[in-house]
Amino acid sequence: MTRVVLKIVGASGQGINSIGEVLAKGLKRSGYCVFGYREYPSLIKGGHASYQIDVSDERVGSSERKAEVLVSLNHHGLQQNLRDLKDGGVLIHSTAGWKFTPEDEVLLKERKIRVVLLPVDAILQKLKAKPILANVLIAAFVWKVLAKDRNELKTFVGERFAKKKDLLELNMRCIDEGFDFSDPNVGDVSVALPPAQEQWKKQMLLTGSQAMGLGAVHAGVRFYAGYPMTPSSPLLSYIAELQNQTGMAIKQAEDEITAAQMVSGGMLMGARSLTATSGGGFDLMGETLSLNGILENPTVFVLAQRPGPGTGLPTWTAQADLLMAVHMAHGEFPRCVMAAGDGGDAFHLMAEAFNIAEEFQLSVIYLSDKHLGEALYTQAPYDQSGTALRRGKLVTDPAELSKLKSSDRYDPSVSEGVSKRWLPGTKAPVFCAQGDEHNGQGDSIEGAENALQQTEKRLRKMEALQKSLPEPELLGAQDPEILLVSWGSNKTLIEDLLRDPALEGKKVGFLHYAYLWPLKTGRLMALAEKAKRTVLIEVNHQGQLGQLIRMECGLAITDRILKYDGRPFYYDELRERIVTILTSDVPGTKTVASKSRSTRSR
Amino acid sequence: MAIPFDSNGIVSMKDYASEVQCTWCDGCGNYGIWTALRSALVEMKIQPWEILLCYDVGCHGNMADKIGGYRAHGLHGRVIPFAAGAKIANPKVPVIAVGGDGASFSEGVSHLVHAVRSNYPITFILHNNANFGLTTGQASALTPRGQKMNTSPNGIPERTLPSMDFIFSLEPTFVARAFSGNIPQLTEVLKKAVAHRGFAFVDVLQACPSYNHFATHEYLLEKCYDVATINHDAKDVAKARALAVDTSGKIATGILYQNEDVPSFYEELKPRQGRETTPAEEVRLYDVSEYMKAFI
Repeated sequence: MTRVVLKIVGASGQGINSIGEVLAKGLKRSGYCVFGYREYPSLIKGGHASYQIDVSDERVGSSERKAEVLVSLNHHGLQQNLRDLKDGGVLIHSTAGWKFTPEDEVLLKERKIRVVLLPVDAILQKLKAKPILANVLIAAFVWKVLAKDRNELKTFVGERFAKKKDLLELNMRCIDEGFDFSDPNVGDVSVALPPAQEQWKKQMLLTGSQAMGLGAVHAGVRFYAGYPMTPSSPLLSYIAELQNQTGMAIKQAEDEITAAQMVSGGMLMGARSLTATSGGGFDLMGETLSLNGILENPTVFVLAQRPGPGTGLPTWTAQADLLMAVHMAHGEFPRCVMAAGDGGDAFHLMAEAFNIAEEFQLSVIYLSDKHLGEALYTQAPYDQSGTALRRGKLVTDPAELSKLKSSDRYDPSVSEGVSKRWLPGTKAPVFCAQGDEHNGQGDSIEGAENALQQTEKRLRKMEALQKSLPEPELLGAQDPEILLVSWGSNKTLIEDLLRDPALEGKKVGFLHYAYLWPLKTGRLMALAEKAKRTVLIEVNHQGQLGQLIRMECGLAITDRILKYDGRPFYYDELRERIVTILTSDVPGTKTVASKSRSTRSR
Repeated sequence: MAIPFDSNGIVSMKDYASEVQCTWCDGCGNYGIWTALRSALVEMKIQPWEILLCYDVGCHGNMADKIGGYRAHGLHGRVIPFAAGAKIANPKVPVIAVGGDGASFSEGVSHLVHAVRSNYPITFILHNNANFGLTTGQASALTPRGQKMNTSPNGIPERTLPSMDFIFSLEPTFVARAFSGNIPQLTEVLKKAVAHRGFAFVDVLQACPSYNHFATHEYLLEKCYDVATINHDAKDVAKARALAVDTSGKIATGILYQNEDVPSFYEELKPRQGRETTPAEEVRLYDVSEYMKAFI
């Protein structure tokens, strides 16, 4: 894959996102696959942030550590990000009179880095333009460096300002200035892009959060309650932004407990209701999760992960809340845990989350993370024809409702543990959605036999759910000698790696887990048995999926590639770590007491 | 959104009966509230399938299976947001939330604050016996200071929370106070509360014969009077607040304050304005093609 990396760095609030967005979307429109990745600190102004765009003519879903073009909006970037450039790269900055240290001068020379001083302030003054127009000026210069057509950019930017004629004019002049500028000390510089491809032009460029938001609207979510917390807030923002078109009821709640309780009340009444939070907020939702277990109230919680414990690294990424999602909250009750892996999953899994919640009358925890939520994916418009609306044993037909008995609601004798469900406000025998242990109609009962029956009823749903869930998807080689096992936002990165020359011809397969609980291990066990090497890849310290696998089937994956510094794996970094493992002699996978659990038919 | 009560079928107390026996102590104020609530629902001709009653956890919460109607019995302190969420999902169903003073002024006090502020179109019945009864008589925020309670043999060090002053400081739209021993008056108060446009706060003073030895049934019977007897104007917020706060002599009961001019939370939701259907009725798959265009 030919990949060109652009990286824009500067202080938060300086406009790096605007430049990044113009370039990312402009390049996608122009016929490239684009993957965007942002890093920023937990503050509004100042601090050091970056916006990276990996551009290719082929599918790309990952970031490399080094860039061909680095744009630095302040001197801090000139000090800190110089080593982020590849040999022969281009550094564009606007800090007049900047002097590199002698060490940096040596580095620039050795790496043949071309440094361009773009006099942004002087140009804007000449045009009598506000500082915000620096964005389009810089984007235009980068566009020129990439040897792209000036009018193509003008058409794209023109659309954005079609209704603001005065601004449009000024934007066009900034584009011309950017294109006409040439640093007298360096001359014209250019970085070659591969030929554009038609297929990308009509695709979307959107964040995982936006994909989840579209998925929620598509799935029929009519009520959203949430409390702001990074990295779940962009989902709330997007859903709130659409509210006047979708008609969705939106509540910014006083805390996460409120949000969780509100969506629980909403689901009891039959409206598909959603909340999203991050780890700390989900901690607060734990008791409500348990309540929904006994109420058998279908609910969906988005848990957007970031590194903890405590406040941790609020604006960075992690996959360290998997065990929490699987185990959190008191008592024994069924639940489903799933994780979105890319811009497609993020959309399609949302409807599936609600379908599973309603079919099995349980809570679904939909995991995302900062990386998935804020990365920009090039994504084909969603095929909506394949989505089904499945509401399980929900009774709405008046004739059927009239046949119900109150005790049908929590009838413990039903197969698979799923009893009939109907909604308050419908003409039928009434019941109590009872948080105390209860009989069929929800009367509080403390008898031993009833407790056994109801506990077994609820937990029977896990067996049925496990049977209905698909096995993890196998990508790459279908008879792998090297088996990579991972989940969540690592998906697109590992897919990119499967096409890398370093792994080509090595029969590498990638088992991606979208459904994490109840865990399916049949396919994994069969593949791991045949593979020479099984490698676990996760963004956490403990190898949490590995722990679940071992707990469920006894398979201990000892070749593990883990990362827990708040950053996602970078493409070249993960490639190195995989190659290192493949060239090492240490025996990998072993099975511990593998057959003892086979009665559970995984 | 108007709530379409089905007034065709004749509703009687029998429709709200339950075979589950009451487990409250003899002389508990809950019996009076239980009876008044059923009476109000019957007099309003609300069928059991037309209502949602949401219960917190505490002695009052054990009413959840001793009454008809669709009911939810959830977590301690969290009844208000559960009930508000249910109401937003289906505003055609009248929703009554019921909680005790223990939960409502300690664990769940934030929800009470935001419910008044949000003006959710629900009724909140406060079972106010000034202690945590179900956990065997610990002091609540409303227990008078100096009372010896379970876990506080010296009385509690904290000052008593001035609950009515607190509620009025939040600019409520409906505040009533009643006494569980006056069932006819409480029934009328509840009917007005259920019909109120926004959040109706009904503080019901009740006896707790096991743990509250200061405000007994007899004490409340002696002290409570109906504001109807003094021609109180329920639109006068200053007067209402003064009446509500001062319980040193007699205790004013009835509708103390009501303001129907403030739209409810649901009415204020712009995306919902002009829609006849409820969010619950609108669940289907939606085509997002239009929204996808913005990303191309």
